[in-house]
Amino acid sequence: MTIPRKMIDLNMDNQPLRAEADATILKVAEANGIYIPTLCAHKDLTPFGGCRLCIVEVEGMRGFPTACTTPVTDGMTIRTNTSQLQAIRTEILQLILSEHPCSCLICDEQDECKEFNATIRKAAVTTGCRYCSNDGQCELADVVKWLGIKEINYPISYRYLPVEKDDPFYDRDYNLCILCGRCVRMCQEIRMADTLAFKQRGQRTIIGPAYSRTHLEAGCEFCGACVSVCPTGALSEKTSKWQGKAESEAVTTCALCGVGCQLNLQIRDNKVINVLPAEDHLINNGQLCVKGRFCIPELVNNHKRLRRPRYFHGGIEEQLSLEKAIEIAAGKLSHCPPEQFGMIISSNCTNEDLYVAQKFVRTVMDSNNIDTMSRVSYGSAFGAYLNLMNKCTTMEDLRKASAIICIGLDTRFGQSVVGVELRKAGKRGAKIITINPRPHNLTVVADKWLQPETGQEAGLIDKLAKLMEIGANKSKGVKRPAASKGIRAELAEAIGILCEAESVVILVGSDVIQYRGSSDIFESIDKLAQTLQAGVMLLPAQNNLYGSLMMGTYPEILPGGYSSTDKARLNHFAKLWGSELSDSNLSWNAESVARGREIKVLYLLGEIPLKSRPAADFVIFQNIYAPDFFNPEELVIPSAAFTEVDGTFINGEGRLQKVRKAVDPPANVFPDWKILSLIAQKMEKKGFEYLSSEDIRIEISRVIMGFHNSDESLRPILPFKSEFHLSAVSEGEMVNFKSKGQKPFLLQTRVAEHTYRGFTLSAFVDGMKAISDENVLEINPDDAKELGLSCDDEAIVKSEEFEKIWPVKITPQQPARMLRVTLSPGDFSGHNPYPVKIRKNNV
Amino acid sequence: MVDKYKEIFDEFSGEAGDLIPILQKIQNKCGYISDDAIRSISPFLRISDNQIYGVASFYSQFRFTEPGRNSIKVCMGTACHMKGGHILGEAVERELKVKPGQTTEDKRFDFQRVACLGCCALAPVVQINNDIRSRMTVIRLKQLLDKYE
Repeated sequence: MTIPRKMIDLNMDNQPLRAEADATILKVAEANGIYIPTLCAHKDLTPFGGCRLCIVEVEGMRGFPTACTTPVTDGMTIRTNTSQLQAIRTEILQLILSEHPCSCLICDEQDECKEFNATIRKAAVTTGCRYCSNDGQCELADVVKWLGIKEINYPISYRYLPVEKDDPFYDRDYNLCILCGRCVRMCQEIRMADTLAFKQRGQRTIIGPAYSRTHLEAGCEFCGACVSVCPTGALSEKTSKWQGKAESEAVTTCALCGVGCQLNLQIRDNKVINVLPAEDHLINNGQLCVKGRFCIPELVNNHKRLRRPRYFHGGIEEQLSLEKAIEIAAGKLSHCPPEQFGMIISSNCTNEDLYVAQKFVRTVMDSNNIDTMSRVSYGSAFGAYLNLMNKCTTMEDLRKASAIICIGLDTRFGQSVVGVELRKAGKRGAKIITINPRPHNLTVVADKWLQPETGQEAGLIDKLAKLMEIGANKSKGVKRPAASKGIRAELAEAIGILCEAESVVILVGSDVIQYRGSSDIFESIDKLAQTLQAGVMLLPAQNNLYGSLMMGTYPEILPGGYSSTDKARLNHFAKLWGSELSDSNLSWNAESVARGREIKVLYLLGEIPLKSRPAADFVIFQNIYAPDFFNPEELVIPSAAFTEVDGTFINGEGRLQKVRKAVDPPANVFPDWKILSLIAQKMEKKGFEYLSSEDIRIEISRVIMGFHNSDESLRPILPFKSEFHLSAVSEGEMVNFKSKGQKPFLLQTRVAEHTYRGFTLSAFVDGMKAISDENVLEINPDDAKELGLSCDDEAIVKSEEFEKIWPVKITPQQPARMLRVTLSPGDFSGHNPYPVKIRKNNV
Repeated sequence: MVDKYKEIFDEFSGEAGDLIPILQKIQNKCGYISDDAIRSISPFLRISDNQIYGVASFYSQFRFTEPGRNSIKVCMGTACHMKGGHILGEAVERELKVKPGQTTEDKRFDFQRVACLGCCALAPVVQINNDIRSRMTVIRLKQLLDKYE
């Protein structure tokens, strides 16, 4: 129960008002519709009192206090708009403007300029005489207009600072900066990323990271929170800066990872021009990561988007209409025997797409051959990983937890929203333990960093679980092992932290999914969670992994999480769908594709399982971009991106969230479910007469309780059912590290996690190239020196099974004798880590 | 890297408020605040190096470049300015190819402009190491600089 705050009476501009006792004058004025100009105050940030524009007169108070920092008191009489105040404000703003290029703010011809481009002789036609892209969105301009400033009585000084364009995602022109400090406070108070700081002082004050480092070097997460709050054009998004002001907004769910942040898509001319975080107390709380904030416009508006179906046959490429493409697809599919068909669907698709896809495969194709690439990227650990989903916990639990264990998690770029929650937790006194062999962004936040050797994580977590168990049995808690050095002492400290904690949450990142033997890790996590009675938060890279399980896009799983060999369930679905269902032929899955098993028709719905064309007589490729491979006998059908469809996603917590159509897809491009329905109808199958995704949702709600909900604001957590049994994925052997003499080089391959519909984001988003390390060989500086490798070199990496050439990236975080490379899913399988030989590629 | 500052860190408990005393001790010991020093303070106090640099650069007492073997301070106070202190400053800049706050490449001199050395009657004044040189001219200053190694 919240205690009602004390209310007081005051008088503002001759209006009697009632307000909460601890509110500031500015807050009270805003709540009562009284405008006080301000440039440095922001609703999410602590008062700063920097711009001095919000000065007011308070009876009985000396001078002119700033409204943003002065709390109201009982009986206060405040005047916000006297001629004296306006005169002082005008003077202050003129001083600010004397350092801010401002002809666009005070020019006489301002109005004519917008309409007739009257000043084109002075400046470029494309930009007008503008210094920045913030036209129509400049807070400074609003205040100038309000105060009616027409000229500046001070000498104009320009700082001649070079515009900083070297970093990805946003540009910085500090000549436009008015030092309001919003970005610095955002970075320090809200994000707690501490990348930005005020440097120097007085006239030379400037904002930026330490020394003259770039933001990339300084540990910037590129969350864009600073850009969102900048009142001027000093900070601007590279992709959307010249796009102008948005005409409308749409709230939707992000499709770029399993956290499921709520986005506020900014729309203009039927295009997503920018993405801002939505106010959402359940998940992201007004924060986003680099992917959600910056990548979406470039991803969905990319010129490489597929717009027309293409048909490759007999070495000829043909562009077709959608009707013709559907005819060809239907023709090919109706001649395909069930066991010769396979579909791989992306877990980035909406639940509606996933549901229709599995229904299509099961009723139209009479097969069970549908799978996602998760099976391959999680490898043998997939079963163990899904098992952990039963222990799923929510962001709310994370916010309350008194101790948090992070395993293989790095929140710098992916899941940075969770990183913010972790830092907040640290601030409120929760203890954080992080387990990761590499130095990572949480080492500064964590109270304890347990650093196992690569590949030994499972052992460490096991040990932790065992020691905790012993501790739990003893009534007096754990007897700490005698102070010794090394990992034992570290473990003892960690146990000390965990014993005192009331509630524990375990976060699992994607760094532990890299090995073939990682099922051991997940089993150990399971044990640890049981001992600690902790909730587990899996942070899958696939945004709708949960949805794909609930919708049953796996050979072994029916919608609702039921086993596809369960006769009673099969009959139930057969009745529901009005079609016979097969319980056999569970031998095909995504791994068969990776292993090159030949089938007749392979339907790739939003997925690319291999770099080269998979083995199949005919491939139907349905995606937002074209694949890299062009081969005979292939049909390419364009489909809609997540900003262009209505539907639902289920995030890693199991929360059912809406996806709302923000813009129209390109002409004659349809959502995946629509294309599948059209094909089914062409094949004269019944049960695909959906008019909208709503129809599909109603049908799903017959299978899954609580699925269809007319109240959009409710985002229920769907309980996870796992009555199925996954067929095991074959596993390469783990390599025994303990060899005598010098350790051999070990190559660790990990699956690229920043992907959408099978494509890595870095292929389509410029900035992601700078921050993701895909297809480069990461190596420790000492090892690189020994091998004579430097940054621009390429290295030849050779094992018993393969020989590859990768460019070298020298990474101090990389442990000695370990090499790491990030690849697209399906690029490799077998041993991991691999013992390899490495040498420089002499060109 | 950490060992170099360990002695200093040992005197403190690692709270955020220890930052300025630590910076002062490091400057006393090393003569300046190196990038390296900031990087080692960061994990000790759990403050990002960006913030540490922000704080340190606010105070003029901290310097971020390695001091030279000799230090030149040219007074730019009112009296010295009137008597041509800024000309002396420019002469040093040209002669030694340094900017204020920098150290020459051979580490022979570092050069700073100061506000007032408190001996305005002797203007213009230059201080080299601990010696005050009064009524300085450009020619005498150049001859003088040759005497320092």
